[in-house]
Amino acid sequence: MRYNFNWPVIWRNSDKLFDGLLLGLGIAVVALAAGCVIGILLAACRLSRHAVLRIPATVFVEVLRNTPLLLLVFFMYFGLPEIGVTAFDNTECFTVTLAVYAGAYLTEVFRAGLTAIPVAYIEAGKAIGLTALQRGRYVVLPVLFRIVLPSLSSALISLFKDTALAAAIGVPELTYGARWINVNTFQVLETWAVTAGLYLATCYVLAISLRLLERRYAMVR
Amino acid sequence: MQHDDVADPARRAMFGRGVGVAAVAAAAGLVLAQPAQAQATGASKLQEVLKRGKLVVGTGTTNPPWHFEDDSGNLTGMDIDMARLLAKGLFDDPTKVEFVRQAADARIPNLLTNKIDIVAQFMTITPGRARQVEFTTPYYREGVGLLVLKDSKYKNYDELKAAGSKATIAWLQNVGVEDYTRMVLPEIKILQVESVDATFQSMNAHRADVTASDQSTIRWLVTKFPDRYRDLGFGWMPNSYAFGVAPGDPVWLNWVNTQIREGFLGVSYDDMKAAYKKWFGIDLPVAKVGIPSEYGLG
Repeated sequence: MRYNFNWPVIWRNSDKLFDGLLLGLGIAVVALAAGCVIGILLAACRLSRHAVLRIPATVFVEVLRNTPLLLLVFFMYFGLPEIGVTAFDNTECFTVTLAVYAGAYLTEVFRAGLTAIPVAYIEAGKAIGLTALQRGRYVVLPVLFRIVLPSLSSALISLFKDTALAAAIGVPELTYGARWINVNTFQVLETWAVTAGLYLATCYVLAISLRLLERRYAMVR
Repeated sequence: MQHDDVADPARRAMFGRGVGVAAVAAAAGLVLAQPAQAQATGASKLQEVLKRGKLVVGTGTTNPPWHFEDDSGNLTGMDIDMARLLAKGLFDDPTKVEFVRQAADARIPNLLTNKIDIVAQFMTITPGRARQVEFTTPYYREGVGLLVLKDSKYKNYDELKAAGSKATIAWLQNVGVEDYTRMVLPEIKILQVESVDATFQSMNAHRADVTASDQSTIRWLVTKFPDRYRDLGFGWMPNSYAFGVAPGDPVWLNWVNTQIREGFLGVSYDDMKAAYKKWFGIDLPVAKVGIPSEYGLG
């Protein structure tokens, strides 16, 4: 093995890694939040008695869940402008794509969550005279989030790791920063070792913090 | 390394740095800890290749006129012809080549891990790369050019420069892109993507106004798609394309250099001439008989 190690060059460019890490986390959080909204709405549609809501929601979820994320990113970034949709820059475009993708996955999570809410809670709500909207706001949503909290935690970590794909369209997140250092310094081994370490540490810290959150709020079942 | 035949003080020195380094390296997936073998000093990649009966060449697949697939899926291009020139010299048979298809950023790792004998993938000689691998003598001098869509509002370089930060330029994410761009377009926005074809797609999708690329590639695209692309007619940054080989093997390096030189100046001239004509439309002049031109005594 003939390889000249050069660690200082990684530290000299570490701003690219840390800025990238923050951007990746930001994208993941925004995508998760937007994905929750999309997911709850679509889950409600999927459980609806009306086929006109149920079928389109089902088709949407199945198409997205069975398509590679990178392909969706290319479709949104390179494909849509061909028919005149150029509203988003690359970071926005990736965030929107990831949010929609997260929405499709979370639909299934929320659907399972909704069916797991004990009927007695809803009936209790009815009994004390809450309207349908009030039942949703004060009974269904709080219970739902406690049920799905563990799934949301793993979704956030998974979405954060998915942000690595944004490098393909030049979004300056962590993998892009690592590629930048890689192609500019050729210190392949150090670059990817440090980057892998950063992903690992970040995901681990996320997992531990979310587990604490779960311990406090998740519904014991 | 699998075929670590040369005495290698660098490796011993590296293990001397301790377990930490080795652990990180192992974590990154590179196999370092091959058992030390009795090493025959002087055995070269050259012998290994000759014994194997074929040359293993790392190259890409998506960058005409350098390395790309023809209509029937076979690799073709200048880099491919250069690899075949080597095979012809090694085995008297240009077909004795196995091409390993790799991304541009795998060029150095695949050499260092001995997955390939040589890189033939429009590899620019840079001092940073030369710290990790060794370069042969160049087989082409490339320059960077600017490509726009046929109906682009920018008619020439001056208009593009005047647009300042209103315009966006697409590049392959590569060494020194920011510096190279700022030399000639100080204010333009830079978009770096991870493959050459994505740079052209960015422009097709109006994500970028202009693509920076090899002048040879631009010439190729404008010839092939005259209704789609236009050459902005501006070039800069001469740079040299050469084969890359793993460091520390002077016998192999020298053999390849010899074959390149004799392609330009000696008995392999016909193959080099054909390749230059086919891929660049350049007529390679015939070397002058008499005093070898290498000595500059003309």
